[in-house]
Amino acid sequence: MKNKLIHSTLAIVMVAAVLLAACGPAATPVPLETSAPVEPTVAPTEVPTEAPPCLTIGALYVGSVNDAGYNQAMHDGLMEVQNNIPCVKIIEAENIWEGPAAETTMETMIQEGASLIFATSFGHQEPAMNVAKKHPDVIFEHAGGWMMDANFANFYGKPPETFYLMGVAAGLMTQSNKLGFVAAMPLGWTLTFVNSFELGAQSVNPDAETIVTFTGSWSDRAKEAAATDALINQGVDVVTMHVDSPATVIQTAEARGVYSIGFQSLAAQQFAPEYWISGAGFTFGGLMTGMAQDVIDGKWEPQFIRCGVADGCMAIAPFGPKVPQEVQDKFNAVLAELEGGTLVLFKGPIVDQDGTIRVPEGEVLSDEDMGNVDWFVKGVIGQPK
Amino acid sequence: MSQITSTPSRSSTSVLIAVQVIVRYLFIFLIALVLFGMILVIAGKNPLAAISDTLSFTLGSTFGFSEVIVKMIPLVFTAIAVALPSRVVLINVGAEGQLYMGAWLAAWGALTFTSLPAWALLPLMALLGMIGGSLWALIPAFLRARGLVNETITTLLMNYVAPSIVTFFIYGPWRSRGDALFPQTADFVPAARLPAFFGTRVHFGLILALILLVLYWFIMKYTRWGLEMRAIGGNPQAARRNGIPLTTYIIVIMCLGGAFAGLAGMSEISGIHGRLRPGFSPGFGYMGFLISWLSGGNPIGILIMSFVAALISAGADILQINQGLPYAVVNLLLAITLFVVLAHPTFLKGKKA
Amino acid sequence: MSLLSILGVISSAIFSGTSLLYTTWGEILDERAGIVNLGLEGVLLVSASTGFAVAARSGNPYIGVLAAMLAGGLMNLLFGFMVITRRANQLASGLALMFFGFGLSALIGKPYTGTMIKGMPRFIFPGLAGIPALSTSQFKFDVLIYLAVPITILIWWLLFRTRWGLSLRAVGENANTAFAAGYNPRLIQYQTLFVCGLLTGLGAAHLSIAWTMTWAEYMTAGRGFIAVALVIFSKWHPVRAIAGALLFGGAVAFQLLLQAMGIAISPFLLDTIPYILTLLVLIAWGGTRRHAAPASLGRVYQGSE
Repeated sequence: MKNKLIHSTLAIVMVAAVLLAACGPAATPVPLETSAPVEPTVAPTEVPTEAPPCLTIGALYVGSVNDAGYNQAMHDGLMEVQNNIPCVKIIEAENIWEGPAAETTMETMIQEGASLIFATSFGHQEPAMNVAKKHPDVIFEHAGGWMMDANFANFYGKPPETFYLMGVAAGLMTQSNKLGFVAAMPLGWTLTFVNSFELGAQSVNPDAETIVTFTGSWSDRAKEAAATDALINQGVDVVTMHVDSPATVIQTAEARGVYSIGFQSLAAQQFAPEYWISGAGFTFGGLMTGMAQDVIDGKWEPQFIRCGVADGCMAIAPFGPKVPQEVQDKFNAVLAELEGGTLVLFKGPIVDQDGTIRVPEGEVLSDEDMGNVDWFVKGVIGQPK
Repeated sequence: MSQITSTPSRSSTSVLIAVQVIVRYLFIFLIALVLFGMILVIAGKNPLAAISDTLSFTLGSTFGFSEVIVKMIPLVFTAIAVALPSRVVLINVGAEGQLYMGAWLAAWGALTFTSLPAWALLPLMALLGMIGGSLWALIPAFLRARGLVNETITTLLMNYVAPSIVTFFIYGPWRSRGDALFPQTADFVPAARLPAFFGTRVHFGLILALILLVLYWFIMKYTRWGLEMRAIGGNPQAARRNGIPLTTYIIVIMCLGGAFAGLAGMSEISGIHGRLRPGFSPGFGYMGFLISWLSGGNPIGILIMSFVAALISAGADILQINQGLPYAVVNLLLAITLFVVLAHPTFLKGKKA
Repeated sequence: MSLLSILGVISSAIFSGTSLLYTTWGEILDERAGIVNLGLEGVLLVSASTGFAVAARSGNPYIGVLAAMLAGGLMNLLFGFMVITRRANQLASGLALMFFGFGLSALIGKPYTGTMIKGMPRFIFPGLAGIPALSTSQFKFDVLIYLAVPITILIWWLLFRTRWGLSLRAVGENANTAFAAGYNPRLIQYQTLFVCGLLTGLGAAHLSIAWTMTWAEYMTAGRGFIAVALVIFSKWHPVRAIAGALLFGGAVAFQLLLQAMGIAISPFLLDTIPYILTLLVLIAWGGTRRHAAPASLGRVYQGSE
């Protein structure tokens, strides 16, 4: 009697497991935009061509490659490399946290034959450098840092310029003069993005203010939703963000009928069919292809790369349906300045929230200093520390 | 929940019992593995490939094996942190938070006393780690001793508070100036780093953990305190009637548990990271809880289960890359194993439940 | 602090607290029947991921909600098997359930991270459309939130006005006496756990499908434990649970409001407010209200088998 009970309940548990997991990954979901299906890896025995790959590339991401955000943008770049150089084999690892786990992952990739590694998250820099020192024959490309070595280089886009541009759009579209910025953590670059956003807005609308809230995590969806709500409750009518995935912020804004401006990946636009203004995304495919080709040809050299819209590393999304022509024209005018190289960001005098002069008249904030910023410009409401 | 009791006097019987224990563990684990494999299959993954990948990485390469040991070190600490209170029927799920606070106080020591030599700084940091962890456990201990709130819930809630406090310090007062991109403290001075062995990442924390394990075994088996703890665990009312100070024991034992978890934190930041980073623990405290329950609080069991858990954990790193399995499935396998243990199926036991 | 801000906090509290409320109700029923379920965090996660996945696959959020409820029920049945049939320790089994949920939810949800789903429409409650202050976009709620009102009544009625509710409470007070009175404690406990699972699944569905419209690992951030604390806070009564859920939801919203107002406190310290608040609530009320708990709470029913 008891055994029967055990067996029947075990059966229930198995059925439960079946039902639960059957809702699971039986097939890849509808792909977003142009991104390739999500299969993260090619197992060692499944090589696309008969011959061994001309290059094995390892890529690690701090999050998931279909987050419609930073990680997806990086992944899309790698997929472009695959398209451009079909004999390449790509090994990907998602949700690799920025610490010793990253080192283990990279070591494993090297064991599986990787000779070019893309460490895509800010926090992968040191682990990558540690591994690089032990494998001088493997090339490392890190995104968003500053370290360089004989086999280690750094690349990134120029978000401050796109945020300035977006600030212009926001400043023109806002009616309450309150802009919102949902940020993950008070890192130097994040503060710089906020500052350039506000400066861009101020350039067309001197009364515009930017309110910043920090969620404390790169990807805490419930917090992002609540933060967006809190900003909107304060009267904000345009929101943008610096978190891993813009999806939640944008969806929340859309549900409240508030304008949104995307970041990280152009895939974000689909979340806001009505109230989308514009957005910027990373498009590193071309750059990455060049790097891979250089490694194959043996011509690779460590270069510190910061490339922006003009170089094809970042792209601007199309306008949303509610953006009037005058705004588009003004926006495009500034974009032209950007592409032409005549736009200078962070030109003094720049004053911070307390009134201290941070960039004196006649001076310009350097790239290096941008990364070390710990203050907000006047007009930003929020805690920089 | 069955326990492995103290060994009898005849050595042959103790060998027999040891064999029985090992067979039991193996059987439990096998069942869990099968169930886990079934779930994987349904999810479209290949369990056999997962197992072979895991084993070939962890046992097939020096690097892999060293990584297993590296992961094992904090698990032994946190398992003892849970096992000790469990002997007096206290459920300490707070090892995660206690770990963070131990790391926090140890980091303070490392960042403040930068001119001390290693033989002074390292023990100081260990002490600070223990103090940090035990202070964090004091609040739940006190509340439980006063009969106000069950310690299970309080320790759990405090697990959510500790990492935020640590992160606050990393972003605020302790932020390393030149590294504006990364939230982390400055590098610890070399004197604050636990030495590693043979060019691997296995560090001195391993020795500490093993010493602690032996100490735990010794105290439980041979000291008066161990006896009293077992009495309390058996029947608290009777123990109190016999003059054993229950309240004192509750507070002291919980704080000791917290201290050991704090040591886990200290050993991690000193031996592996060399600085304080936000969110540096991938759930060591929780895994320690699972290990402690799976091993019944038994020292040998803790050693074995910590190794197994570390193996699974290292395997999960590989499986993420090769099989696309999220790291969190480590929890799945360990939880299923715990389910099997908790369900104590009759065919695994010699006597009635 | 303007009226808009205060209303904003209330609105946010409602959004954030709804998932908590459903879960708390489920746990109230559980504990009234004598079972403590510490694994609700795992149940929430599995329900959230399942519901989201089904909503994504089917394109229909409501089917997703149903799937979430079913998943929650099944998870709790598993828990029931452990603590009722196998008579395992409730606290340990609950925690094992939690870890099980961590892993299973990650497995289920992985391919769907970043997928966009069709959310639920949000609308203002028809009667309130006339009041200007309450007609702003802040007070557009989804149907799961409005459902909470009739469900409150339903649960109260179930618990206090039906035979089943009576038997449930009897089992929670003393299972042996209930058995002697002709009830089947095991069956009742299984049924209660299933209903609790349905409710928890509903709460999880609100979190992933209706509010955030995403799935991310560990997205519940401890709601499963807060619920257990709220059960004590509400003295095991479903109507008082609403106050607790609003309080906690409000704490999260309040913290963000402080930031949006420019108050100079680190967001990380503000992060701890909801949990410390819960702790204080437990300390203040945990002891004195213990006598209001069902007498056999946590005790494993040995039965006569």
